[in-house]
Amino acid sequence: MLAVVSSATLSGIAGIPVRVEVHASNGIPGFAIVGLPDAACREARDRVRAALMSSGLDWPGKRVTVNLAPSGVRKTGSSLDVAIAIGLLVATDQLSVETLAGRSFVGELGLDGAIRPVNGILPIVASLVDTEVVVAQSSVGDADLAPDVTVKGARSLRGLIEALTGEAAWPDPPTRAVGSRAMDFCGADLADVRGQPLGRLAVEVAAAGGHHLLMLGPPGSGKTMLARRVAGLLPDLDDHAALEVSLIHNAVGVSLPRGRLIRRPPVRAPHHGSSAVALVGGGSATLRPGEISMAHRGILFLDEMGEFAPSCLEMLREPLEEGAIRVTRSQGSATFPAEFLLVAAMNPCPCGEAGRPGWCRCSDRERYRYGRRLSGPFLDRFDLRVLVQRPAPEAVVDGASGEPSSDVAERVARCRTRSSERGFEFNAAMPDDAMDEFAPLTQEGLGVLREELARGCISARGVQRVRRVALTMSDLAGAEGPIDADRLRTAMNLRAEPSKLLAAVGQ
Amino acid sequence: MSAGSTSDAAFFAALTALPGMGPRRLAAIVEDRGGALEAWTALCSAPSAGPGGGLRIEGVSDSLASQWRSKARIIDVAELWSRHGAAQVEVLTPSCDAWPIDDAFDPYPPSVLFGTGPLTGRQSPAVAIVGSRRSTHYGRNVAATLGKGLAAHGVTVVSGLAAGIDGAAQRAALDAGGRVVGVVGSGLDVVYPRSNARLWADVAERGRLWSETPLGGEPARWRFPARNRIIAALADVVVVVESAATGGSLHTVDAALERDRLVMAVPGPITSPQSLGTNRLLVQGCAPVSELADVLVALGLGHAGNEAQVPAHGAQVAGHLAEVLQAVDYDGTSTDTVIERTGLDVSTVLSRLSELASANHIADVGGWWQRS
Repeated sequence: MLAVVSSATLSGIAGIPVRVEVHASNGIPGFAIVGLPDAACREARDRVRAALMSSGLDWPGKRVTVNLAPSGVRKTGSSLDVAIAIGLLVATDQLSVETLAGRSFVGELGLDGAIRPVNGILPIVASLVDTEVVVAQSSVGDADLAPDVTVKGARSLRGLIEALTGEAAWPDPPTRAVGSRAMDFCGADLADVRGQPLGRLAVEVAAAGGHHLLMLGPPGSGKTMLARRVAGLLPDLDDHAALEVSLIHNAVGVSLPRGRLIRRPPVRAPHHGSSAVALVGGGSATLRPGEISMAHRGILFLDEMGEFAPSCLEMLREPLEEGAIRVTRSQGSATFPAEFLLVAAMNPCPCGEAGRPGWCRCSDRERYRYGRRLSGPFLDRFDLRVLVQRPAPEAVVDGASGEPSSDVAERVARCRTRSSERGFEFNAAMPDDAMDEFAPLTQEGLGVLREELARGCISARGVQRVRRVALTMSDLAGAEGPIDADRLRTAMNLRAEPSKLLAAVGQ
Repeated sequence: MSAGSTSDAAFFAALTALPGMGPRRLAAIVEDRGGALEAWTALCSAPSAGPGGGLRIEGVSDSLASQWRSKARIIDVAELWSRHGAAQVEVLTPSCDAWPIDDAFDPYPPSVLFGTGPLTGRQSPAVAIVGSRRSTHYGRNVAATLGKGLAAHGVTVVSGLAAGIDGAAQRAALDAGGRVVGVVGSGLDVVYPRSNARLWADVAERGRLWSETPLGGEPARWRFPARNRIIAALADVVVVVESAATGGSLHTVDAALERDRLVMAVPGPITSPQSLGTNRLLVQGCAPVSELADVLVALGLGHAGNEAQVPAHGAQVAGHLAEVLQAVDYDGTSTDTVIERTGLDVSTVLSRLSELASANHIADVGGWWQRS
């Protein structure tokens, strides 16, 4: 007899609905799973067998074939275990076929018959629209966040069967924790930063306009301290963004905070030894999103950027432009979203003291090589490039604490509101052709740009980036009207030429 | 150049192509054998019995001598010679008419020089402008001002084509249409540093490049002090613009003093490590350069005070910029310090710094602001 059970599995960060077809017939007893299962999926046979026997159910002495349709797509993981077990029970008349109608089953079975959670329950459940989905009781909180589905939990196979046949009630859904919703994660506060007026401004502008930020400076100048405070300035994610972020994080096995969508922009800070796959995603067995996708709608912080493998950094160029990364492997390809604010910190040279004339201990060759690690096109992606200096000792010890993050975040939010009134999420996302309409320049301002172009201090592409930064500064100040020369000069100063910052060797 | 000296020069070129063959060893081996041809023949002939295979020269170890022997067998003298001819590189020996160095007063003259470019022979008056590769904006600015001023007075500018002071002085002199001589530590086809490739080509085309190394010679460390003595020998006056306490430019100073050349130094801030060497020279009694005229007077070309070419320090700036300019030091000030000193708003300071930079009152050097 044949039974068809609806379930789903995970590929990359998306759920794939799977029809689990179980056929039991007379013949030499056996159990085969077909339809491109991976190792974990094929092992379902042994788990299902043990779970059935532990639950006091019969293991049929029949020839059983399980087909996972669509059979051309590779199925990974153990999320189909429950569906296979239920299908087997229906196919061997231990459960009535009516219990399958309008339901899907997702979960892993333990040998004792327990139903266990699987990674990525949110994207899996989100792919099963218009059904009632049965998941492990402990992942009901995460699964319930998916729109347009009803979620039921079950603790064990025995309990599930009793609930399906009406012998017992479904377990109660877990109670949702209540608490302050906004700013439940803001990390460190800008008030702790003493001095550093230039760094503070750069961080504020980066958060307000979504401008990628590169901070150079000697060790101990506070680059990392500043970078860690960017996230606290960003506004909460809206519903759409929160779902996107939660899907990605859940897909790699992060349980969602207190059963709610992730509302704060994520911060990812991969180590500089990270491989290219770790950064952009991929992998041989399963396609996993990389750090840049985990930082989607949040911040990717590259500390000691000069120490990253140049080839890894070059791979960031495409996602920086496209907002997504397409990973192709032999088992197929996946597109992961990757819209992030890139915040990078690095030393200006291996010893860190370059710039200050006469202080650097590196040879010219070392500095040249260090500067060469970052390509021009990559550095060009940074709208803000500032040199952060060690604050004066007096400022560190006795200095007044700075403006707190909450005040700065308010200005940032106002600035972002103005951007969205123009139709863009933030100013850095504004296309070139919209610049004249939304960011016009005064005559003087045009003159300044012309002058700097002629002096070779700025590139043609740099002009547009400087204009966007100037617009953000103008929005932050609450100014109206065209952008004036002062604002442009300030913006240019926040975007120092990398040649000046990195290889300050002679002329 | 006579036919006889041509063949002699070819063997000199071949000898300098041997590993570790510096000017001292070259002079010693040529003197020992009584000529370049003889020295080469001795190296190529089978080693006789005894230590060093019959080649006993002071400062040459047996292993180096055997290295020379094996290398000498590989080098094709005629091919090397024609390569220099094809690249239009002159190979000069002291007997040539165009030999630029006054050997009588030189304690340690080169035995052979490779040169290219239209300015042949000794150039006079000539001033060497030397200094640190890791210079400050102030130093490069002074070097450029001096280079340009000297060029305008028909004085040849001699330097080492290095990054920093050397390059700044020579670039400015070239751009002012002046005569420029560059002395380099590598073969004339091995551009070092690469960042000065353009300057290198321009000097070869419009001035003169000198080297003690044949084509293909790598810029080995030990060649640079030797190169510095040629810079000193080619100049009438040596001006040190910026030098750290142990800078290579101090070699040039020593070489200049050995050859009775006048050494002058440009004073700098006593807080700047890049001016430590020059300020110390001044304390030791070296003549200071406070303006271009000081150098011209030393050359006998003018008298003090009649030149107003050096830009007035603290040039006039608009009122709103003066406050910010005041807060910038000559040896580098960070933006944060300027903000702190002026007490102005961050954006205002950034905007004014940009304005000052575009008017060339200050320059951004590795994120530090330096006054010009």
